Amino acid sequence: MAKVKSAEFQKASARAVRDEGIQHALTHVMDHFTEARAEAIATDYSDESWEAMRTRAAAIKAHTIGSLDYYLDLADKSVRRNGGHVHFADDAAAATQIVIDIAKRHGVKRAIKSKSMVSEEMGLNDALERAGIEPVETDLGEYIIQLAGETPFHIIAPAMHKTRGEVSDLFHDWLKSAPTSDIARLCSIAREALREKFETAEMGITGANFVVAETGTVVIVTNEGNGRMTTSTPRVHVAICGMEKLLPAIEDLALFLRLLPRSATGQRATSYTSFISGPRAASDEDGPEEFHLIFVDNGRLNLLKDEVLREALSCIRCGACLNHCPVYRKVGGHAYGWVYSGPIGAVVTGPMTGMKQAADLPYASTLCGACRDVCPVKIDLPKLLLHLRHRHAEGSPRDERTGTWMERLYMRRWHDAVKTRGALERSTRLGRLLQKPLVRRGKLRSLPLPLVSGWTKDRDFPALAPKPFRQIWREGLGEGGDAG
Amino acid sequence: MPAEEHPNKAAFLQRVREALGRSEPLLHMPDHPTLKAALPRQEEKVRTVRARVEVSRARNIKRLVETATAASWYVHGPVAAEDAADVVAEIATGLRARRVVRSSEDIFRRVNVDGALRRNGISATVLASGRSRGRSTLKGLAFEADLGITGVTYAIAETGTCVVTPRKGVARITSLAPPAYVALVEADQVLGSMDDYFALTRLAHQKSRGRVPTYVNFISGPSRTADIEQTLTIGVHGPGVVHMVLIE
Ligand code: SF4
Repeated sequence: MAKVKSAEFQKASARAVRDEGIQHALTHVMDHFTEARAEAIATDYSDESWEAMRTRAAAIKAHTIGSLDYYLDLADKSVRRNGGHVHFADDAAAATQIVIDIAKRHGVKRAIKSKSMVSEEMGLNDALERAGIEPVETDLGEYIIQLAGETPFHIIAPAMHKTRGEVSDLFHDWLKSAPTSDIARLCSIAREALREKFETAEMGITGANFVVAETGTVVIVTNEGNGRMTTSTPRVHVAICGMEKLLPAIEDLALFLRLLPRSATGQRATSYTSFISGPRAASDEDGPEEFHLIFVDNGRLNLLKDEVLREALSCIRCGACLNHCPVYRKVGGHAYGWVYSGPIGAVVTGPMTGMKQAADLPYASTLCGACRDVCPVKIDLPKLLLHLRHRHAEGSPRDERTGTWMERLYMRRWHDAVKTRGALERSTRLGRLLQKPLVRRGKLRSLPLPLVSGWTKDRDFPALAPKPFRQIWREGLGEGGDAG
Repeated sequence: MPAEEHPNKAAFLQRVREALGRSEPLLHMPDHPTLKAALPRQEEKVRTVRARVEVSRARNIKRLVETATAASWYVHGPVAAEDAADVVAEIATGLRARRVVRSSEDIFRRVNVDGALRRNGISATVLASGRSRGRSTLKGLAFEADLGITGVTYAIAETGTCVVTPRKGVARITSLAPPAYVALVEADQVLGSMDDYFALTRLAHQKSRGRVPTYVNFISGPSRTADIEQTLTIGVHGPGVVHMVLIE
């Protein structure tokens, strides 16, 4: 599994805040994302309002997760009926072994990869290299960070912290290309370099944005076309996904394919959406002869077991909560120390990798509620963060103990906490900073994070939640409803 | 013969079940609206979809032109079938395409693309088995081509999308590897929304006892990226120039 460095959150944040390049990129890119999203959800798409769509999507995901065993079974049968193979991996090591075994069986020397967050969890590239297989990331952003030897900075824009100059240097070092500051030129350098890999790789590895249980269909959403290449030219296709990625029926996709691109990049649709149902048919002209789907747990059971945290499994990885989070917007993705960053990363990293090392993450939030208001599946991220803080305050109770009495205790404490400011303040490390008024004339004047001085020296943050922080506070966070 | 069940499946599902607070599998299919609709109900639904698509055709085409243009397609027409081939030839000459590849499907009987291209001194290579030799040749031809041309199974007005379904005669890479692409769309293939498309797909799935096309692509504009400094650049791995020719 990929190394977890979340224990260093405070140090890493401080570093990121001092890094001018990162600060510049964050300001620039985040505004771009939030504006594009706002515009995209303001235009009409169907008879359903944005709010109604979010509500329905949240219900479908909650339903699917609530019957996850049924849908996993259905998906398994459907994919195998389509002629594919299905694997169930308990952890990163097991999933990695499955991929390597398939590769060995086919004598694979080179594997092309389309973006997959689960493969980041697994640290798959390193493992493939150790097994003598060359992994090649084909999403431009992922390719850049692979050459740089880094991890993704953002779920949607993994290399957003790299300037064109840095990319040019990387390409110069690795591909011997002439230095250039022309971004189009840099893209065509990557295109040429990767074309050869597309022509020759024996194996394609992808993630899955959705898996439709009834038809056994893996759905991959991309803009560059690398996802299509990866699922078209190699002999073998292996899709790796978290066990929560399921949707019951193909008709559910229309809703999620409306929500995802708008929330992620502000697009009406991404350039390509590919629907893969098994290996090529005998009569097909091309396509992989073998198709594998690996369902991965890797700590997700810890989220599932906790009736509050379970909601986090509805995440469709759109990145909107990152883009709207005042903390992410300041510290960026690497500070979170593992694969997922921003509010969703702060929620899932601890339960998935071990609470101790990620103890700081639930506090990496102002609880301003912006993440919850933009989340396309209405995950109540502030509530989940508070829940984790309480679990932490309880001395990290083991997951098995989240039975009824734990629950009652938690609920009581949580309600107490949101009823009286004092209790919440005492219960959080951020508390003491929250005593100052935060929002003045629509701007967040100082960010309540004790980690870094000089935090808001250079700029005001927009108050991102549609309701002032104080009001949300008074209404009791989770119960404030959606004003978005 | 389906592949064997993975040895870890039963234990994996049992752990999921226990995390959800159950010890036994569900006895019935969980209650979910889109999953529940059995064949007769889905047929009824699709009849409604078809009727709606029929009466809204003109509006859907107008909307498709808007959404596709917004998604950076070059949209041509609607033109009469006999003029469509000339439109394609014009696109090809405009691109200075010398190596053109196309699929083998019905639409090319109605639209004589080969003839129009030939009149302009361009010969199109058909990427389909029996016409080219084997998989590596197919790949090689597509990777070297300047332009790829295919028909579509549907177009979706909501999103400016061409639905391309690779199958016999239609290779996956024809619409992907060349730097420019032309999609031929007939008026009666235009649907209103993604809901329309998925309703039809589900019915086809139910009627064929669980068979679905092995591979479907929604193509909604050119290949693009913004991975370097959030600057939009087109034509990364797929075609950077995409034309949609609407045919009456
Ligand atoms: S938690 Fe919600 S907003 Fe954040 S990435 Fe997941 S789906 Fe998107």
